[in-house]
Amino acid sequence: METIRTLFSPKAVAWMLVLIAAIAVPPVVGGYVTSMLILIAVWTIMCFSMNLIFGYTGQLSLGHAAFLGIGAYTFSLITVKLHIGFWPAFVIAVAFTGLVAFLVGIPALKLRGPYFILVTLGFAVIVGVIVLGWIDLTGGANGLFGIPRPNPIPLPWGGTLRFDSLLSMYYFILFFVVLIGVFCHRLVHSLVGKRFIAISYNENLTESLGVNTMSQKLLSFTMSATLAGIAGVLYASYNAVISPELTHFARGMDVVAYLIVGGAGTMAGPIVGTLVLMTVPEVLQILPYLKTLINGIILMLFIIFLPNGIIGWFNTNLGRRITLRRTVNGPA
Amino acid sequence: MNGVSQGCVYILLASGLTIVFGILNVPNFAQGHLYMVAAYLGFYMVMSYGMNYWLALVLATFALGVFGQVIYGLVFYRMRNAPEVNLFVAAMALLMVLEGIALYFFGASTKWFLIPFSRRIIAFAGLALPLQRLIVILGTLVVMVMLQLFIKKTAIGAALEATAQHREGAMLCGIKVTRISAMAFVIGTGLAGIAGMLIGPAVLLEPTMGMGPLLVAFSAIVFGGLGSIGGSVLGAFILGLVESLASGYVSAKYSLIFVFGIMILMLLFRPKGLFGREVWRP
Amino acid sequence: MALLDVVGLTKMFGGLTAVSELSFDIQPGELLSIIGPNGAGKTTLFNLLTGFYRPTSGTITFKGIVITGCKPYQVTRHGMGRTFQLTSIFKQSTVLENVMIGKSHHAAVGVLGSVLRTPATRREEQKIREKARELLSFVGLGDKENKIAGGLTEEAQKRLSISMALATEPKLLLLDEPTGGVNLEEISGLIELVGRIRKSGTSICLIEHKMRMVMSISDRIVVLNYGKKIAEGTPREVANNNEVIRAYLGARYAA
Repeated sequence: METIRTLFSPKAVAWMLVLIAAIAVPPVVGGYVTSMLILIAVWTIMCFSMNLIFGYTGQLSLGHAAFLGIGAYTFSLITVKLHIGFWPAFVIAVAFTGLVAFLVGIPALKLRGPYFILVTLGFAVIVGVIVLGWIDLTGGANGLFGIPRPNPIPLPWGGTLRFDSLLSMYYFILFFVVLIGVFCHRLVHSLVGKRFIAISYNENLTESLGVNTMSQKLLSFTMSATLAGIAGVLYASYNAVISPELTHFARGMDVVAYLIVGGAGTMAGPIVGTLVLMTVPEVLQILPYLKTLINGIILMLFIIFLPNGIIGWFNTNLGRRITLRRTVNGPA
Repeated sequence: MNGVSQGCVYILLASGLTIVFGILNVPNFAQGHLYMVAAYLGFYMVMSYGMNYWLALVLATFALGVFGQVIYGLVFYRMRNAPEVNLFVAAMALLMVLEGIALYFFGASTKWFLIPFSRRIIAFAGLALPLQRLIVILGTLVVMVMLQLFIKKTAIGAALEATAQHREGAMLCGIKVTRISAMAFVIGTGLAGIAGMLIGPAVLLEPTMGMGPLLVAFSAIVFGGLGSIGGSVLGAFILGLVESLASGYVSAKYSLIFVFGIMILMLLFRPKGLFGREVWRP
Repeated sequence: MALLDVVGLTKMFGGLTAVSELSFDIQPGELLSIIGPNGAGKTTLFNLLTGFYRPTSGTITFKGIVITGCKPYQVTRHGMGRTFQLTSIFKQSTVLENVMIGKSHHAAVGVLGSVLRTPATRREEQKIREKARELLSFVGLGDKENKIAGGLTEEAQKRLSISMALATEPKLLLLDEPTGGVNLEEISGLIELVGRIRKSGTSICLIEHKMRMVMSISDRIVVLNYGKKIAEGTPREVANNNEVIRAYLGARYAA
């Protein structure tokens, strides 16, 4: 049980405010901003996913665009072509993505450093090739359409919760963002999470302490990919249409950029990074196909000069007072 | 024939990758895109400005070499003390930048790179050999021979090998490791440039043409053995043939999967590759 | 039965033979020291014993079980712990967290329990925390548990790395130059710690260069040179061995 003190700590208050803003803002701004926020929410989930495997376990996977795509396409295929209901399809698609990740992870995680990165990149490219090429299954470049929204949920006090409107989809996806955020927060602060972090600092040392690093990495990788799968399903359901563009490897790199700019290995990093790198181009009205170029340049600048990202910089420079207070007041 | 010339492209790219990876310990993810940029550069120089092909080849290679030097100085030199992961991210960022440039400047359209040689076919011993493909093969041979001579016979080449084997040791011997690193990067990008210019006239130029060869080149390095140029050459050759055969007998679209699959198998059962040295663990 | 039995251990890196036909054993409860000039293969030996390198040939038997070819985490779970020559700790975590990682493979925690913060998981984590605290006070770092590990002195970091290895509950502890970079006053403190570890029932295999220390605390010594064993025996036997004297070019007793 959190003590009253921790519930009102500066950090907790800040998060509460962010949550309140996230809930209260969309009804008052227009549909355009809300649809932007939906996309930001989806990519934030992707960023949480990347944070788990890269920020906290130290393995740079460039293949997560593939898992987004697998989640999205599996969901779309079984709802559109097999007419399976929304919720079962959700679960099946996400489970399938996790399974694929598990199978890919077994050989891939045996490799260290650059080899792992290149294998995941290769995986992303190959999935892209398959999605584009297997026209009978995936519709090729035309993609799939007619992907359903969640089924209406009957409420206990009468009436139904319908998901036809933009706003309802927003809250639906926001719900998952919060859920996944809490999941990651709890995981990272637990002993299991500390093990992941240990692996990211020094894998050999961690292994010499008796930890089966391979199984831990596989666990992190699978969970991370499952989150990406969830993001895929949510996107597909929201957009009603998906195309191979979704699985392009550059999408996975965009997510890495969001993460590093925001701050890898922090809780707020994914949110801040995604928010900044997705809204600024919109505000400046930059053409969509310049996005990858700009993300690349910004990432380059950050990785050279500010590798810990915005939140990382914040933590080092302004967080010192806060940490001091925590060790004096709070328990370990 | 196509398989052999394609294999030559992989040989050049793989050699570039090996050299950069051996000395900087960074896999240059952008190698494929550099090759693509060179091909497009050459296209514009020859097609839009009517430049002589050979001149364009030299210029494009030179341009890529200069670009390599610039990137090394601006990025990798600054990051020489950063944790390894950051360098990988920087290499990835480079790939993103080039991908963005490709999409923006070259658009999604494909281009035919035509020069006097492209269409000419030589009849030789009853076979019809496209001249450009021959140029690719011969060109690769010339380049690889020169590279070997450079590495084995010159002092700088020896310094290169020394740095690749033991960075601290080379520093202790007075070798200017940062200069060597820069040179390695320049050679890497230069090789990508040559590859692009050689094969350009023979194939359809697309902004996406870089990724496939990158993965094959990387597979070749793993297959042939880390740290060994000879190994990666052999690997590139073999995998080039595999790709050709897969294209022909199974499907052109999915040939990459075969190549990649073989690399995965090699990684699982013999991580050293065919000729590689044992991977040190600290 | 010997606690550790090494027979014919050989390791070649390409053309270089790092360890050649090495055979020795460690009896339960003893402190065996491995000495030899730099490059003799001592750390390579530790890497072979703990599974970081695969032997080219030879067998390693621990507690009667053949562990040749086991992965490092398996070797640790069999009961062999180690420290590293280059002090290996998690510099960015707190001292307590460092030791908790060492204990973590004994913890019955899982993802679901961690995320839902079930009472069982919280109890496990508390248990681990308590055990980690015990270990820290055992090595004399009890008052530093919330400090960031990277900020400790070299000697304290060595103690920390020892406590992390102890967290894995080893029957045999391999210590790779535990007094490296430590000044003369602090050495006796570490020697005392090693003594206490022995008393608690853990056998020790020590790599050290400080001859006085080695001679005074070892039960037996194995001397390596160029990857081969050139002498083995009690400190007195080894000190009088001509081969050893020659290898060290007249090494003396000065630490």
